[in-house]
Amino acid sequence: MNDHHEIVSSSAGVAGLYNAPTSVRMAHIAAGLKKRRAASKRLRIYGIAAICTAVGFLCILLTTIISNGYTAFQQTEIAVTIDVPADEIVDANGAIDVEKSRNYNWDGLVKRSFRKAFPEVTGMLEQRSLGELLSANAGYDLRLQIEAAGVVPTGAVTYWVKSSDDVDMLMKGRMDRSIDEKKRRINDAQLVWFDSIVADDAIRLAFNSTFFNAADSREPESAGVLGAIVGSALALIVTVVLALPLAVMAAVYLEYFAPPGRLTDFIEVNVNNLAAVPSIVFGLLGLAVFLGFFGMPRSAPLVGGMVLALMTLPTIIIATRASIRAVPTSIRDAALGLGASPMQTALDHILPLAAPGILTGTIIGIAQALGETAPLIMIGMVAFIVDVPASFTDPATALPVQIYIWSDSAERAFYERSSLAIMVLLLFLISMNLAAVMLRRKFEKKW
Amino acid sequence: MEMDAATELMPESKLKAHEVSVFYGEKQALFDVSLNINDKSVTSFIGPSGCGKSTFLRCFNRMNDVIPSCRVQGQIIMDEVNLNSPKVDPVLLRARVGMVFQKPNPFPKTVYENVAYGPRIHGLAANRQEMDFIVEDSLKKAGLWKEVSDRLNDQATGLSGGQQQRLCIARAIAVGPDVLLMDEPCSALDPIATSIIEELISDLQNRFTILIVTHSMQQAARVSKKTAYFHLGKLIEYGDTKEIFTRPQNEQTEAYISGKIG
Repeated sequence: MNDHHEIVSSSAGVAGLYNAPTSVRMAHIAAGLKKRRAASKRLRIYGIAAICTAVGFLCILLTTIISNGYTAFQQTEIAVTIDVPADEIVDANGAIDVEKSRNYNWDGLVKRSFRKAFPEVTGMLEQRSLGELLSANAGYDLRLQIEAAGVVPTGAVTYWVKSSDDVDMLMKGRMDRSIDEKKRRINDAQLVWFDSIVADDAIRLAFNSTFFNAADSREPESAGVLGAIVGSALALIVTVVLALPLAVMAAVYLEYFAPPGRLTDFIEVNVNNLAAVPSIVFGLLGLAVFLGFFGMPRSAPLVGGMVLALMTLPTIIIATRASIRAVPTSIRDAALGLGASPMQTALDHILPLAAPGILTGTIIGIAQALGETAPLIMIGMVAFIVDVPASFTDPATALPVQIYIWSDSAERAFYERSSLAIMVLLLFLISMNLAAVMLRRKFEKKW
Repeated sequence: MEMDAATELMPESKLKAHEVSVFYGEKQALFDVSLNINDKSVTSFIGPSGCGKSTFLRCFNRMNDVIPSCRVQGQIIMDEVNLNSPKVDPVLLRARVGMVFQKPNPFPKTVYENVAYGPRIHGLAANRQEMDFIVEDSLKKAGLWKEVSDRLNDQATGLSGGQQQRLCIARAIAVGPDVLLMDEPCSALDPIATSIIEELISDLQNRFTILIVTHSMQQAARVSKKTAYFHLGKLIEYGDTKEIFTRPQNEQTEAYISGKIG
């Protein structure tokens, strides 16, 4: 028994402290105790420092995003008194004729009405410069307002129309008036007009609803995230529908049915490897196979979802296998012992018990996919899309891609909008992770 | 224990094991075990840990199939069929040979669903009434009906350990097996729950052929008619429980039952 642990000698000289009187031994241990305590205290301090650093950076990140983005909740609007010529846009019954309305020159109407407030401005260049205070889409917005109201008012009515993004920035204090005129996007004359509008109280900051119910636009004041949100949602639906059943079936097979051997090992290793493959590679794969070989539509959420499903598959497989393994073998034995077939055992007992883990894994995988940009860029979901996608094959973009596009734009107003879009994305991610936690709490069974 | 005169004179074999060997990969866990199991009686397998008694028990319902590296050789004959043949469907076999495990392992479902699961997957009940009858009858046979009749829809995991184990017995009975395998069914239970289960086993032997693996020699002596002593994967001695405990033929058996080893 003791071949390997032969005791050489038990004399006091060799054994040292081991054979020393208790008091000596205790004194020795006590002396070392201080050092040990100090070491564990140091470790604790390092740990706290590490957490503080991480939390600090997170705070800086969130503060930056929020302080840059919160102003995008509001949009500057300018009051313009407009006398809408009813006879130009209504039909014989007095109702608005959509066809007529569409062909009417709303832009001209808005600009003309706006200029009336500044009779001193007469030169053509000056007038154009004045008109630039309003959004390039002010006419379109007015048309939508009137069509939504359903009636054309008689006489002059004051409408709030969107200002241009530069005026918006000026209003929000994000433009420095003191810098040289040539480097400023608003010239001195425009500044004077702006000040007079402010003095007249004909300008306000209103809730930027456009941001939440429109798709992308070249004009920051007309741009919104709804198109990107819908695009992301459509892509993620495809991802879940494809990835969840495939991954669960693959995981059940690998856990329960795969005959042990080289092939199974090879597949297992590669599933784990796939989880580490850079996402852009999946994008290239999608580009080559889905678009190139199968000729599927470019920029479509369908293809985006398929690429994201490929990317999410290994994550869900790994999570599912882990939660299947966490089901006690006694449950499997009980079912098999009763004569349940392996499939019945898996469907009736193992999967329901593993469901919370599978759900959590899926949601985390989907959250990852929601934040993914690179593979979507490869398959063309980076396009400039002004319509909210209505189907899986419509051209669309996704939230992170939208952020990427805006952050790349020159207009200062897109900068705050990309920050707000980041907030929207983070909100989705946080609520998905919360849902994962809550689902797990709800469905977790104790035994 | 009361001896049934007829069985003693003419013991009828329900199961015949012939040179059963079990391998885990390269390692042999069981060496050429041959024995006959009497019908409608309790047979216990005893021996120190790792002696192969549980492994042997699991041969009777092919539960060793689940372990990928496990290989079983030899024959186990029940009603002239070799259970170890690849032609025998383990699903069918397990409907005839039920099993109760070491740790009570009810499904995390209701009491009713636990008992009803076996009959349901085998399609034994045509309607709700039949299923209700099966559940009630099985729970009565397992001596649990009085305690749970008013909480059939409660979670089975809320029952006490002893109740859970009897529920597992009811669940096995509900499929209508001939043989019940019990793998140390009382090792996780307190003495009172243990004695209830032991009484139950004595009652059940009129209906079922029961094989029980136990660590407790007293239990083997109390409940079983025949006892097999295993050591290091070999069957050392097999005979009437009385004989084994009073006049063991083998030195190893004697050493074990007198507490010198194990």
